[in-house]
Formats: sequence, C-alpha cells, structure tokens
Amino acid sequence: MTTETLARPNPTPDPERSLRGATPPPGRTSDRVFQVVTLAAGLLVLVVLALIVVATASQARAWFNAEGLSSIFSSNWDPAHHHFGAFGLLYGTLLVSFIALLFAVPTSVGIALFVTEVAPRRVRRPIVYTIDLLAAVPSVVFGLWALAELIAPLSHIYQSVSSATSGVPLLGTLFANPSGSGEAFMTAGIVVAIMITPIVTAITREVFVTCPASQKEAALALGATRWEMIRGAVFPHGRSGVVSAVMIGFGRAVGETIAVALIIGSSPRLTANIFGTGDTMASIIANEFGDASGTWRSALIGLGLVLLVLTVIIGIIARTVLARADRRLGIVAR
Amino acid sequence: MILRTRLLRRAVVSTLTLGLVAAGYAGIAGAATVQKGQPKLPAATLNGSGSTLTEAFLQQVIAEFKTVQPNVTVNYGAGGSGKGRQDFVAGVVQFGASDAPYGAGQALPSKPFDYIPTIVSPVAVTFNVTGVKSLKLDAPTIAGIFDGTTTTWNDPTIKALNPKVNLPSQKISICRRSDSSGTTQNFTTYLTLAAGPKWTLGEGPTVNWPASAVGNNGNTAVASCVKSTAGGVGYNDFSDAQAAALKMASVKNASGVYIAPSVATATAALVGVKLLPDLTYNPINTKAKGGYPITSPTWLLVYSTQSDAATGNAVKAFLTYIEDNSTKLAPQVGYAAIPSSFQKAALSAIAKIQVG
Amino acid sequence: MSVVTAPAGGALLRSRPGAKGRKARNHAATALIVVAVLVALIPLVAVIGFVISRGGSVFGWQFLTQDIPVLDRDIGGGMLPAIVGTLIITGGAAAMAVPLGVLGAIYLNEYGQRRRLARVIRFLSEVMTGVPSIVMGLFIYVVWVLHFKNETAFAGSLALACLMLPIVIRTSEEILRLVPHELREGSYALGSRKVRTIRTVVLPHAAPGIVSGVLLAVARAAGETAPLLFTIGFVTSTNTSLFHGPTTALSYQIFHNATSPFVGAQDRAYGAALTLILLVFLFTALARLVTTIYTRRTSASSGA
Repeated sequence: MTTETLARPNPTPDPERSLRGATPPPGRTSDRVFQVVTLAAGLLVLVVLALIVVATASQARAWFNAEGLSSIFSSNWDPAHHHFGAFGLLYGTLLVSFIALLFAVPTSVGIALFVTEVAPRRVRRPIVYTIDLLAAVPSVVFGLWALAELIAPLSHIYQSVSSATSGVPLLGTLFANPSGSGEAFMTAGIVVAIMITPIVTAITREVFVTCPASQKEAALALGATRWEMIRGAVFPHGRSGVVSAVMIGFGRAVGETIAVALIIGSSPRLTANIFGTGDTMASIIANEFGDASGTWRSALIGLGLVLLVLTVIIGIIARTVLARADRRLGIVAR
Repeated sequence: MILRTRLLRRAVVSTLTLGLVAAGYAGIAGAATVQKGQPKLPAATLNGSGSTLTEAFLQQVIAEFKTVQPNVTVNYGAGGSGKGRQDFVAGVVQFGASDAPYGAGQALPSKPFDYIPTIVSPVAVTFNVTGVKSLKLDAPTIAGIFDGTTTTWNDPTIKALNPKVNLPSQKISICRRSDSSGTTQNFTTYLTLAAGPKWTLGEGPTVNWPASAVGNNGNTAVASCVKSTAGGVGYNDFSDAQAAALKMASVKNASGVYIAPSVATATAALVGVKLLPDLTYNPINTKAKGGYPITSPTWLLVYSTQSDAATGNAVKAFLTYIEDNSTKLAPQVGYAAIPSSFQKAALSAIAKIQVG
Repeated sequence: MSVVTAPAGGALLRSRPGAKGRKARNHAATALIVVAVLVALIPLVAVIGFVISRGGSVFGWQFLTQDIPVLDRDIGGGMLPAIVGTLIITGGAAAMAVPLGVLGAIYLNEYGQRRRLARVIRFLSEVMTGVPSIVMGLFIYVVWVLHFKNETAFAGSLALACLMLPIVIRTSEEILRLVPHELREGSYALGSRKVRTIRTVVLPHAAPGIVSGVLLAVARAAGETAPLLFTIGFVTSTNTSLFHGPTTALSYQIFHNATSPFVGAQDRAYGAALTLILLVFLFTALARLVTTIYTRRTSASSGA
C-alpha cells in the first residue's frame, strides 16, 4: 500500500501535521475519507434517534389534534367511543415498574453485596455469570413461563390474601378484587423484577467494587462487623451509583413489553387493586396496534412517543447521576 | 427380451392397458377435486389477514389448496376483522377476511371490491364454572353478565333460568377481545337486537367493556382465557371452543327455544335469510325456528380488478376453491357452509373479477 | 457462643456492650444477602427447567426441520420456518449494525475523544440503549412498512439494527479504550498514518472484545419479539428471502402460541422457547469464550 516514510516520531496521537511546503504524505486523503466515514457512522445514532422522534410525533399528531395534550392525563381509554385517555396506561406502567423495583432493588443490592463482600473468591465469577444468564433469557420466554406456571398459583395466593385482608383499611383496598386468572399488576411486577435484576445487579456490583479497600479495612479495624462495615463504608461510597442503577432498572422496567403483554390482563384502568388486571403503555401497543386505525392507531403511536420521552428522560437522569458520582470519585469522565 | 408366446404378449399388453386406464381414472378423479380444467398455476404468493373467527377454516382450506395448486403460497396472518379491513385498504394484503362489512367511520377501499361470503360460524358463550356442565342463558341475562352488573354465578337472574343447576358463588370473570373484532361486533349486535334496553354498551368492533374484563388478542386467546380462569365467561367461535373442549351455553333464540351452538344449528339459522345485492346478509338473532341466534357471517374481501396476472389468477382460483369445497371442508373444522344459492352468487362474483 | 466470622472484629465484639445485638444483626444481614441470591436464582432455575422439560418432549430433529402446521390446533409439526426466519432477520440486522457500530465506535474513541460532538453521540447512544424495542418496531412500521406496503424480513432487520446499533457502539468503544496507547504511539512512531494504525494495530488488538460484544448484541436481538410484531407478517412455510415476502421468527411464534388453548400449539411454543434459549445461550457462551481467550492472551502477552 503506502510507502513507510521514516519521518520523525509523532508525539501526539495526531499524525496529520505535514511539513509546510512539502508534498502531503501519501494516504492523507484516505485518512480524511475514513474520518468522515466514521463520523457519519457515529452521527447515524443521532440521526436514527431524531428520526424516531420525528416519525412518531408526526404520526401521533392526529391523536393530539383530536384530544389535545390533556389526553395524557385523562384516564378514559375507550376506542369504541374514540376516547384515548392515556393516564390509565401511564399509571399502569409506573405501578408495574414500582412493584418491580420494590422487589428487584433489595435483591440486586443483596446479590451485589454477596459477590463483592460475602462470597469466597472462587464462587464470585460463577455467581456473576449465572445471574447474567438471567439477562440472556428472552422476555417472551419469561412471559410463556409465567403464563404456564406462575399465574395459577398466584391467583390462589391473591384470593387468600384478598379475603384475609378484606376490611383492613389500607391493605383491604390494595388487595381487593383479585383477578380470577392471576393476571394482574402484581404478577407483571414480579416478572419484570426478575428481568431487571441482572442489569441492576451488574451496575451495583461495579459501584461496590470501586469502594476503596482502605475504607473497608479501617472500619473492620475499628471493630465493625461485616454488616456495619458495609453500612459504614460501602453504602455511603456507592450511594449515588445505586441510585443510578435504580434509575436504569426503572427505565428497563418501563420499556418491558412482551412479558407484560402476556400476563397483565389487558384492561386499561386506574385502580388501586394491585391484584387486579390492568395494562401498560408498552403492552397495549403490542396488543392493540395490529388492527387499530385512524385516531386509535395515532393514539397508540402517541403512547410510543410518551414511552420514548419517558425512557430518554430516565436515561439522562441516570447517566447524569452516574457521571456526577464518577467525578466525585475522581474517575475522569470522557 | 423377446415375447415368445402369444399368451405372454397378450398378458403384458392387457396389464399395460389396465394400468394406463387406471392411471387415467386416477388422473381424472384427481382433477375432479381440482377446478374442472384448471391447470397448475405459476408461482404466486397471496397474503391475507383479518378475522380470527374464520381462521381455522381458512387454515384448513389453505392446507388443502396447497395440494391442488402447489406453486401458490397462501399466508393468512389473522389479527382480527378490523385489521383485515384495514390491511385490505392499505394494500398490504391481497385478500382480507372480515366478519362484518365496512361500517360508518371506517376508511373504505379506494377501488371497487367484492364481499365474498364463505361460511358461517356460531359464536358460543363459553364458560368455566366449577361443577357446572350446562347452562341456559337468554339475551338479557347475557347482557347482565357481560356489562358487569351480574357479578357472581349464583346470581338470581342466572338461577332463574337454570333452577336445577348447582351454581356456586364464584365471581364472574369476563374474557373479552382487546383487538378490533368482528366476533365482538356480531356478539354485541345480537345483544343490542335481543336484549333491548338491558344492553347499554352498544355494538361495534370494540365496546367499552367493564374495567375488570380481561382483554385478549384473537379468538383462541379468549378460549385460552376462559379455559384458565375459574369462573370465566367469554364469547368464542364454535370451532375454537369445541377444539379447546370448552363448555358452551344454550342461548334462547327469537322463537323462544334454547339452542346449543353447533354446525347444524348454524345452518338452520340461515333459513329465510336474504342475500343482498352486494352479497352481505345478516343472520344475527335469526327468526328461523331451530337456528342458533348468535350465528356470525364472514366474508373475504377482494378487489374487483387485479393488476398482477399471477396474483389475480391465484386469488380467483383460491376463492373458487373455497366456494366449491366449503360444503365438504367446513363441518370438518366446526363451521357451517352457506346455502348453495349464496355460493352460486359468490362464484359469479368471483368469475367477474378482471385480471391483468 | 459462636465465633464471629467477620475478620478483626471478633475478639472485641464478644466483650463490648450491645455485642449480642450487633452480632445478631450481622448474622441476619448475611442471611438476607444469601437469601437475595437464592431469590434471584430460583426463577432462573424455574424458567430453564420449565423450558427444558416442556420443550424437551417435542424437541428433536423433526421439530427443527418440519414446517409449522397451517392449522393452529394440529399436533406435531416443527419450527423450521421460524428458525430460518430468526437467523435471517438477526443476520441481516447484524450485517447492518455491526459495521456501522464499530465504525462509530472508532470515531468516538480515535477521532472524537473529548470533543463536544463525540460526547453528545456517546451520551445519546447510552440513552438509546434504554429505549423500548417496541418503539423501534413502531418507527420502522411507520417509516418502512407503510411506505413500501409490505412486511418483510428486512423490515424486521431494520428494527433490530436500530436496537443493536447503540449497544455495538457502546461495547466496541469500551474495548477500543482498553487498547494500550503505547501500541498506537509505537505505530505512529514507525510512520503509520492513523487509518493504517487503526487497521493494523488497534483493531486486531480489540477484535476479540468487539466480537464478544457483537455476539452478546446478536443474542439479545435474536430474542426480541416486539420489533417484529408489525414488521414481518406471518407465515407457516420457510421463506429464505430477506427482501421478499413475510416471514416468521421463533420469538414471534412463541408469543403467538402462548395464548393458544390448543395443546399442539402450546407444545410448539415450548419447543420454540427451548430452541431460542439454546440459540441465545450459544451466542452468549461463544461471547464468554472469546473474552476468556482474549483476557488470557492479553495477560500472557503483557509480561505475566
């Protein structure tokens, strides 16, 4: 290809400078071309994201025109009468995600602590690999498993808990009207919790690993038990990292579509009965989009846009928190 | 090899002749199940979508048609009558399947098209109640169940119609369709016609079901929902309900008789039903004596002019095959064929489709 | 009294006031932590056990090579069209996302570095990995399927490529960052231009890591259902074309059959789930294998 010129060594990673007046070294155009090509590839991400926003927004316009932005806060989703209030779906998404985080965060923190503090060294890598296997199982397989094995026993549990707590002031309303088949907000929350555990664990684990050994050893030297050491040294150090992990898990939970679509019962509504059926934004799109037309389809695309905006906002908050935590720790952000 | 004796030669010749004649008969007999004089069509792909009510019938027909026209691939993606009507308008499919004609407020196809009637199917009211093997229901009671006012199975309204049945106090769980469904449309039309003021949710491809009703995508999913929910009730095409071994209620028809859904009672429902010039008809809440009152019609949608020759000829062959063979194939999968007068009208409409 | 296993604190702990409470809390905490691990492992074992036991009964050579029965309620048949569909769709997506993603990562790490545009791209790629896959499916439906009026494997590939692109960029950039700078400087010192350096020094060094990242992204894409729902249509016979005609995929078939009341359809769903899991685990295991070889090689070569 090009001839190797025995030029002087370049001190900085920018060999583009050429001697003034001399003929440009061979291969300079190919360098420029390559730079442009890679820049274009990088820009593609921006282009795709922008296109997604533009395309969904334009298709959703019919919905906004028909009902206005306030439709996001109306809970009347009634395609039969052309009412497309999204609030019930937004509520369902948030409720399922909240239940999922409630189960997943303590579990993930526990696993991360196990792997970084408690487990013998040889067990650590296998455990990490096994938990990551959970991330490899596709969402649809979780949905299939839940439909076949989980909803039947859960429906019995819901019935028992519901009858046991009927009449109790707060819990009674929360657990009233359990779904007959076991398809419910709670069921979806449990399955989503299983699915987001690997990512939350992975991020939390990375954060805990960066805790300086000196701090941990100091705590132990002062007579702390392991738990006290964790509370005193690991947790304060990793606090914002855990927050970031929770946000990322939240973002994943919000976007979970297929498993939820199979087990939530597809009844969009605003209700406090977490053992009852419901619906989320992502799963209603999956279930109803195929045959929706006109304003209905536009409303579903609008839900997709709301979902996109929600996950982008959550993602930005999560990365910003993580970046700030990194900066505080002295990890230089790129 | 020399055929020495005359006897041996005669034996060989007669065996050969017999063989040729037998082969000829087999060929002709085989051709009889093909359209008369219809040669093998060149390769073509037909895509269709729509009604899940008629899905099992279309699947059966597609499998049989493949043996007759092996070069034509027919793909049917179901998705609900609303999707079928819509995909047909958008031109994404070559034929649509819908249990109801285009209605007010729906986008119509821009080019002339035909409704091709194929079969009818009873819409069964399926239930899964502990210890209950049979139920008699009338329209007002069904309305009360599906609009959420009747909440338990031992409700007095249900008890009144079924005095001898031991109804438990199980909660009623409604399984309904979440997609734009022709089955929903016909079911709610029936309730509007027969239950009068008792049914307030209206009629259409989708209605505003009670909040706790579980939505399902497609007829088979409703069947699955009823099957797996203790105390579940739903509305299903007879074919899926039967194949899933679900219990079905006997519904009181316009003559006051409780009729169980079956191929025979669906056929009986068509007695006296008139076929309109555009080949639509309405057997819902039929006046026919032994007819099942919730018998759903269904049509295939096809454009009257086909631009592509291969696809056009394939579509015509496919539709003709359905009309010629539905009387035989439909009952095999739990559907009832339409009267031969309907079939004749359909065949003449198909023949009028212009290709190329 | 049992000996506290926490290092260094044991002797002091036994004699201090409130020691019993602190020890109890420590034990309780350890117990909860172990419970957390079990709680996470139980569903994994349950799901995999379920798929193997139910899917295993239908799985076999016949299942892998037969067409899907046209009638849902029929028993038997196989998932060949879905397997072929998954491979073609995912392959098409990888063919688009991998080159573009690696090139984008090269830009971010070799050219853009700390510049503002690169930071924006990096940030947004990160954010985009969290966008729900159904939004990608909606996007491609609106922009491609409606426009060209057909559902094809390629539309599905586009949707999956949108999904894979940010993942590939992110993981590739991480790997490129790990390439020691001395190697680059040595190449420049010998008079190589940047392109040649990237081509002959950086990429070969980063290749195993990038390959591993790509395999993981492919594994994830193969398991996706939502982007395919409105883009690939539905068939029961094998379609080997990327650009013509609808097709089907393992994930889609599982979703379609999951809500069926028919035993035959359910069995095929379990078999498809087993096939899909085997496929995904195969890619994941390959990725881990490549990483292990990579780390062994770099630790061996970096003067161990």
